[in-house]
Amino acid sequence: MVDLSQYLPILIFLVIALGLSTLFVFLPMATARLTGVYNPTAEKLSEYECGFPAFEDARSQFDVKFYLVAISFIIFDLEAAFLFPWAVSLGVTGWVGWTGMMIFLGILAIGLAYEWKIGALDWD
Amino acid sequence: MIQLFAFYMFATIVILAAVMVILARNPVHSVLWLILAFFNAAGLMVLVGAEFVAVLLVIVYVGAVAVLFLFVVMMLDIDVASMRAGFVRNAPLGFAVALVLLAEMVLGFGAYRAGGLALGTPAAPSQALPGLSNIQNVGALLYTRYVFLFEMAGLILLVAMIGAIVLTHRDRRGSAARQDIARQIGRKPVDATVMTRPKVGEGVEL
Repeated sequence: MVDLSQYLPILIFLVIALGLSTLFVFLPMATARLTGVYNPTAEKLSEYECGFPAFEDARSQFDVKFYLVAISFIIFDLEAAFLFPWAVSLGVTGWVGWTGMMIFLGILAIGLAYEWKIGALDWD
Repeated sequence: MIQLFAFYMFATIVILAAVMVILARNPVHSVLWLILAFFNAAGLMVLVGAEFVAVLLVIVYVGAVAVLFLFVVMMLDIDVASMRAGFVRNAPLGFAVALVLLAEMVLGFGAYRAGGLALGTPAAPSQALPGLSNIQNVGALLYTRYVFLFEMAGLILLVAMIGAIVLTHRDRRGSAARQDIARQIGRKPVDATVMTRPKVGEGVEL
């Protein structure tokens, strides 16, 4: 069973971070609302002097090449994640585990070689 | 006591975030709520003792899958108004899917309560090895008993990689804009410059 008391500092950090971020958001709002005068007009709320209304949505379609990069990242991220338990349990798994991981790395190396050879790693 | 508090905090936030994933009008906001749900699910995994699964949730799901979701959402360029237009038309289909899911959950719980499944009980053969940490236990099983499934996972990853390349890659090797570094480095002054001594009044023949 896991010794959960080791995670107590992380939990304390989480609670403090949650409290602080809530404070940072709501304290200025409450202070401004309670101390200042609030009577907005259309001119006050408009973009003035340094800016103009947005012409279009900030989200626009971008190149599908980013998708290929993201997929490659996921695959090699998973490969690295599989390496962690393999590395710490080699004393138990022995040569069977070592060979299995080498085959796994070989399979993914084939994919990487194909990706490189076909030019999918080049950006132009 | 503190574990109970942590459990209720994580569970409440994960349920609220999951609800917000559905209710958020902007798909990008949905993905951000999904990331919050992943983080809190990782906290729940730590509480039940599955430390490695918790780390995987943060590294793989938050680090990679959520980024991919964001890419896909950005790439689709969804028009929210046109999506909402089909709500009434698609509602029966949505209710049908929800009904099927509900029936499956009821059946599954019924089968589990009836004792039809032996998963996760001490009778199942995957007992934890004593004296080893959580991640060592995972490795000890994954790379011996389940090594075949592990290699299958490798093949599935290979298929995913090749599929993504086939779907998205366009070969630009023919186009003029492509940079060939080997040719650039291999270029010599002799190939690039010509010394001529033209006569006065005649030009240079290139």
